Amino acid sequence: MTNSNTDDVEETGAGVAVADASEREEAADPEIDIEALENEGDIAADYIEGLLDIADFDGDIDMDVEGDRALVSVVGATLDELIGDKGEVLEALQELTRLAVHRATGSRSRLMLDIGGFREGRRRALSRIGAEVAETVKKTGEAKPLEPMTPFERKVVHDAIAAAGLRSESEGEEPYRYVVVYPAD
Amino acid sequence: MLEEALEHLVKGIVENPDDVQVRAKRLRKGKVLEVRVHPDDLGKVIGRNGRTAKALRTVIGSLAGGRYVRVDLLDLHEVR
Repeated sequence: MTNSNTDDVEETGAGVAVADASEREEAADPEIDIEALENEGDIAADYIEGLLDIADFDGDIDMDVEGDRALVSVVGATLDELIGDKGEVLEALQELTRLAVHRATGSRSRLMLDIGGFREGRRRALSRIGAEVAETVKKTGEAKPLEPMTPFERKVVHDAIAAAGLRSESEGEEPYRYVVVYPAD
Repeated sequence: MLEEALEHLVKGIVENPDDVQVRAKRLRKGKVLEVRVHPDDLGKVIGRNGRTAKALRTVIGSLAGGRYVRVDLLDLHEVR
């Protein structure tokens, strides 16, 4: 996969380790340890399931491996309290879940947590926005900054821009960091 | 339920889960959940720039559904 986003370098330099991790390139590691990722998924599922039981939420947990990261999705119930208005509760839970995995395995996890299809919906909407902005920039030939987004959202947009053959970069500081789309040179 | 949820979330991320204690105290306008952890784990539950503490408060606040709940993170031996 080719992708010209430069978040890796910039954000590592700025020491924003966690934001950096969730935007890192998918194809960074040529040898993906599926078993280790499935183990991460199991630990994460136990952690989340325990919370669902305590809070008396119904919900099934699906586990998957997507690229080089484990994906754990909670589906099938009204889960708004676990998502939050803008996904802020989901982000918090993902962060805690990664820490739980780290505690159990000893290595940093880039596990992705989705609840009630929130991330999937955001991903689809942002891919569409990315494709539309790419078209606009191709027509006008002018760089275009987007709204501030979370690391996950920027990653989706960077991918959509790269797929359209353009270059994009993240600028600004968290939590106002945003993507700028550049015309082809 | 909130105490139990918080205890579960914290126990999952510390090195000494058996030392985790959560106690609820009533306030006039809500409640405080006092979480006590092993001294070695205090940094872990607070996190860099308070990130982990913030994540815990975000989740508990949402589960509380609008009621005021304060989350205090303390070392096991801290006296209050």
